[in-house]
Amino acid sequence: MTLAAQYLANGLASGGLYALVALGIVLLYRSSRVLNFAHGDLCTLGAFLALSGLQAGWPYGAALVGGLVGAGLVSAGFYHVLVRPVREGTVLGLVITTLGFALFLSGAMAWLWGTDTKPFPSPLSDVRVYRLGGVVVSELSAGSLAASVVLVGLLSLVVHRTPLGLAMRAVAQNPVAAQLLGVPARRVLAATWALAGVLGASAGVLLAPALLLDPFMMLDPFLKGFAAAVLGGMDSLAGAVVGGLLLGVAESLFAGYVSVKFKATLSFLVIVAVLLLRPEGLFGRPLERRV
Amino acid sequence: MVRPGPGGVLREGSGLSPANNQPRVELRTSYAQDLRLVSGWTGWAGVVLLVGILAGLPLFAPRYVVYVATLCSVHAVVAVGLNLLVGYTGQISLGHAGFFAVGAYTQGLLLTRLGWGFVPSLVASAATSALAGYCVGLPALRLSGPYLAIATLAFGLAVHQVLVNWEGLSGGRSGLFLPELHLAGLSLRDERVLYWVVLVVACGLVLAAVRIVRSYVGRALVAVRDSDVAAEMSGVNLTRYKTLAFGLSALYAGVAGALMGHVLGFLEPQLFTLFESIYFFSMVVVGGLASVPGSVLGALLLTLLPQLLSGFGEVLNVLYGLVVILVLRFEPGGLYSRWLRIQRYVRMWPL
Amino acid sequence: MRTVIGICLAVALGLSVGAGAQERGVTGEEVVIGTSMPLSGPAAYWGAVGRGMEAYARFLNDQGGVHGRRLRVVVRDDAYLPPRAAANVRELVERVGVFAVVGLIGSANAFAVRDYLVRNEVIWITPTADASMWYGFRDKKYLFVTYPSYVEEAKILVDYAARQLGAKTVAVFYQNDLYGQKGLLGVKQGAVRSRVRVVAQVPYEVTQAEVSSEAVRLRESRADAVLLYATPRHGALIVREMARIGYTPRLLSSFTLGDPVMFALAGEAWNGVISTAFFPLPGTGDARVDQALAVLTRIDPALRQNPFNGLAGWAFMEPFVEGLRRAGRDLTKERLVQAMEGIRNWDGEVIRGVTFGPNRRQGINRVFLTRAEGGRYTRLTDWITYPVGF
Repeated sequence: MTLAAQYLANGLASGGLYALVALGIVLLYRSSRVLNFAHGDLCTLGAFLALSGLQAGWPYGAALVGGLVGAGLVSAGFYHVLVRPVREGTVLGLVITTLGFALFLSGAMAWLWGTDTKPFPSPLSDVRVYRLGGVVVSELSAGSLAASVVLVGLLSLVVHRTPLGLAMRAVAQNPVAAQLLGVPARRVLAATWALAGVLGASAGVLLAPALLLDPFMMLDPFLKGFAAAVLGGMDSLAGAVVGGLLLGVAESLFAGYVSVKFKATLSFLVIVAVLLLRPEGLFGRPLERRV
Repeated sequence: MVRPGPGGVLREGSGLSPANNQPRVELRTSYAQDLRLVSGWTGWAGVVLLVGILAGLPLFAPRYVVYVATLCSVHAVVAVGLNLLVGYTGQISLGHAGFFAVGAYTQGLLLTRLGWGFVPSLVASAATSALAGYCVGLPALRLSGPYLAIATLAFGLAVHQVLVNWEGLSGGRSGLFLPELHLAGLSLRDERVLYWVVLVVACGLVLAAVRIVRSYVGRALVAVRDSDVAAEMSGVNLTRYKTLAFGLSALYAGVAGALMGHVLGFLEPQLFTLFESIYFFSMVVVGGLASVPGSVLGALLLTLLPQLLSGFGEVLNVLYGLVVILVLRFEPGGLYSRWLRIQRYVRMWPL
Repeated sequence: MRTVIGICLAVALGLSVGAGAQERGVTGEEVVIGTSMPLSGPAAYWGAVGRGMEAYARFLNDQGGVHGRRLRVVVRDDAYLPPRAAANVRELVERVGVFAVVGLIGSANAFAVRDYLVRNEVIWITPTADASMWYGFRDKKYLFVTYPSYVEEAKILVDYAARQLGAKTVAVFYQNDLYGQKGLLGVKQGAVRSRVRVVAQVPYEVTQAEVSSEAVRLRESRADAVLLYATPRHGALIVREMARIGYTPRLLSSFTLGDPVMFALAGEAWNGVISTAFFPLPGTGDARVDQALAVLTRIDPALRQNPFNGLAGWAFMEPFVEGLRRAGRDLTKERLVQAMEGIRNWDGEVIRGVTFGPNRRQGINRVFLTRAEGGRYTRLTDWITYPVGF
């Protein structure tokens, strides 16, 4: 029983991280229908920027904020330079543009910061642990999980309780109508991209102490985050969190009780099975189309 | 079933990109005209020149160039097949490395375990991968967009993990070495012979793709893409055409995979990762959706780029990413759309 | 269609420059050698081996090169993908025109180019792949390897765990590719010999980000000792994770983790780990290796982050450079092979005890054990030899 609880705790810890990654993906998909392949690299970029801040002697908080702001600016800049001006673009074209951007970013990070694995300092200890019964949870993963819950809360406040959030939802629903009604759609979209970048970077700085930092750190978490977002429903923020946690737990339990070798395949098969029953994900709005 | 008719089909008018919305007006009034690939003496001269250069390449180019050209041809086959699915039918696949692997390992196993010949095993690998495509196409009946992307990605992942962990079947990470094959007394280990074989297969499949997209099947696929409900209303059987698109596309990938095995002389699961699937996908988009020559161009560009830029070391990814970004920034319709613009410009010159 | 022609022509012209007249890759002034490494992607960490090779070449060139010839190292990125490695090697041989290929990381990549290099009789120095790919393989005339065998190394580790640490049961945490699988095979063979039981085999994929469930599985096996076949990142993650959930077996690791960077990545948890080494590690009291590392970091300060791989690059190239010295000014492929075959029990700055011969291509057949303590490694044993395999 303790063992099962331990696998569950491990699953929730990694699931919380997947959820964080998934949030940024969902936020962007809701408003622009673009799957951002560069999201993982933006996460890593945030972590690298924060690390450089730390190495330059900034206080920890300032370095983190610097990393988040930096990634947000890069993300908004990407929107301004490469997404907004392309009028004839298809959605798939945009998706592949983000893929190009991902390659560009990872190459640039490898060039600037080197490809060696680096430790990333954190105020939360990786070694200090909490014991609940026989279940061990480290301060770091408990902290990350708490931080992701806080971030989700903040994000849903922004989306549901602020004028910016209202504008974001309006643009997500119908950009042209929103623009006709006086919503500055482009600025709102730029803000959405920036927010997604900030979210990504916060995932990056939370993940980096636990995973160790290198330019290709996010390859796997990005994939899992994408899968979690799809499982939850690509347009639901709550779904992203639930999807992330479910995926983390499924993976951990499969690894513990079925097969370590096939844990990724098995959890993806679960996702496919869920999608066959609910093609729009767990929390997604059912597909409505005008014919 | 109603066959979408040929009446006044505009050749370039069906591209996804609005960039193509000024087609060169070439009104055709019969199926025969619609299916004709080459017209006029300039067209034939171009074809003769192209065939001459492609076929003659190994006679004057160094072997490294022949190898890269073979790689390009293999990738072109995958890209053209994937475009049938993505560009023409509007379905997404991030699992094409899986079909690539199914084809490659089917042929590899038939050659090594059962001692089949080159041609029958190639046909068999085409058949198995098409079957795999059909099966993966079934969930596609319900899924679309990112949901379909994840489902296909799961397929690719599953194939990779099975190949890694089922050593009795695939040889696992120790690889599966292919025997030396002979066709008409010539060894396939000779990169020139292999190049010719791959070229013939690739040209055949590319021409077949051109025929397919201009036939009623192609028009049915496009109808499914543009509006599946409307397509069904007009008598296009959705189940049949979506699974057909998956099957066809997988067949192309499978044949390419089988050829890839001969290019490298061995198979290993690492050849068939998600990275590979994404790479194929970007070829299609960079080349131009819903354009067969576009896919060939996309495959050429993205296969050559790493080789041409290989001197840059870790900066290669920066440049590679930049090229992809710039192509799509300045030509959202892909390379082929830029080619059409140039063609139009030349035709209109000096206006 | 017509664009395709144009592009083909342009590319054919662009790619076809090069190719020499006399011995490929050798001119009056320089010797060109090439390598293909993962400079990007999940295995990019190993790419520092290439940087180490370049820095070593620059060091030699500053002293006037070998017989008046400078060494030029051409490094290509393969992102750990076999087709790219195959294309790179063809490019190195046919376009750049290299005298020898030195290194090449990863067993899959080495398999992808083996046939080509052997058929074209290219000198190939130390691919970092498992030794078993050469057992019983006939055409090895131009191959020279100074890299330990994973299988033999694992047997030595298990033997040590059983005899010196008193382990009755062992578990293996391994990367699910040829590197980890050969390690696992060696552990199983060694376990039979040393009468210990292998109670858990826990694999991971190199792309995997976290390993917490794997750590729990290892803990549940309650093995006395755990053997690690992993990248530095995964090695560090698993020992941290095991320490966190209160599982502290004796830890033994392959030489690829005998890397000073592990203390920074794994922290306290790395103390007490026993690993093998195939050349003296820096900071263990071997003045010549310390000197070599000082040279490398002076030339390429970035190698400070990655001293082990930098030195590995040096170690792979060193016997080849000795071969160049012995072959004399009048350098040909055959002369080099003859000179290399004459190397007996030769000590370089980094690699030691290299022996080749007309029928011997495995240059080293020994490792020694080290113990990690307080941020540095100390030498535990003398050299332990194993049978020469090829």
